[in-house]
Amino acid sequence: MNKLILLVALSISFLTAGAQSLYLTKDAKINFNSSTPLEDIVAESNQATTILDIEKNIVKFSVLTTSFKFRRALMEEHFNENYMESSKFPKASFNGKIISPIDWKSEKTVSVDVKGTLTMHGANSEVTFKATITPGKEKISASAELKVTPEAFSIPIPSAVRDKIAREVTIKIDAVYAPYHQ
Amino acid sequence: MTKKKTIRIVLWIFLIGLIAAFGSIYYVFNMPRRNVSGESAVYSLQAKQLISDFRNDETIATKKYLDQAIAVSGEIKSIRTLDNHSMVFSLEDAMEGVSCTVDSADVVKFSSKLSPVKIGAKATFKGRCSGMLMDIQVINCVPE
Repeated sequence: MNKLILLVALSISFLTAGAQSLYLTKDAKINFNSSTPLEDIVAESNQATTILDIEKNIVKFSVLTTSFKFRRALMEEHFNENYMESSKFPKASFNGKIISPIDWKSEKTVSVDVKGTLTMHGANSEVTFKATITPGKEKISASAELKVTPEAFSIPIPSAVRDKIAREVTIKIDAVYAPYHQ
Repeated sequence: MTKKKTIRIVLWIFLIGLIAAFGSIYYVFNMPRRNVSGESAVYSLQAKQLISDFRNDETIATKKYLDQAIAVSGEIKSIRTLDNHSMVFSLEDAMEGVSCTVDSADVVKFSSKLSPVKIGAKATFKGRCSGMLMDIQVINCVPE
């Protein structure tokens, strides 16, 4: 009987430990820059949802492509209709893992490597990039920068505008996670 | 004389055409953002209905609602202000409900309409549906 109580107590503590390992934010910032000397092309979304599992070191991101804001309405239209084809592929997402060791108990800012699959425009591409993480009990801050090419996601760029859009697009991510209790 | 006149007319037409072409290029290049507040909603529905539509079949619901002007009503479960001063009102569920984002400019413009909108109150927002992540997102919202 005592054993049973112990078992129940243990499983409960495991369950709560599991729940506390998840951190989430729905307001992560993603911006990208594909500017060239001919044209300034920057866009930002403040509404990426991202989840971080500090037990398994798993990180997931997703963002709706129509939530990106550009300087000009025309750019938004081109981005959604011609390049991302948002009606067919409304989301972009990332599923990955932090592959370098990280001590979640220390509250020091560390640089880590993240590896995973980036999906957009219906195509997948493996990416590895550096991220800066500041662990904490009540909040975890993370930022990262990575470079991708439109070709990796089979996004065709017409030759007429080829020189206006950077060959490599820089994506910047900023997230402040809070504990997520399911 | 008549030859000169014809040339003059042709030149004028050419000039007017040129101005019109530049004008329209300028307009398209700087066209205003789509403003959903001026459109009438294609779908007016309860947040619960929208949530169940997306939970039942996300692909079908995305096809139906994506980029459409919709008016959604429901109970406010959470209110957040983003870094860019936009406000997010979550209907029916703070995590997996309908999140209506009011852009910073509209937060100022509709401040008197938004101030009575508190957690627990019922509200209707009109905006553009941009799909589902954990929650269903409706952007460029204005309070109704």
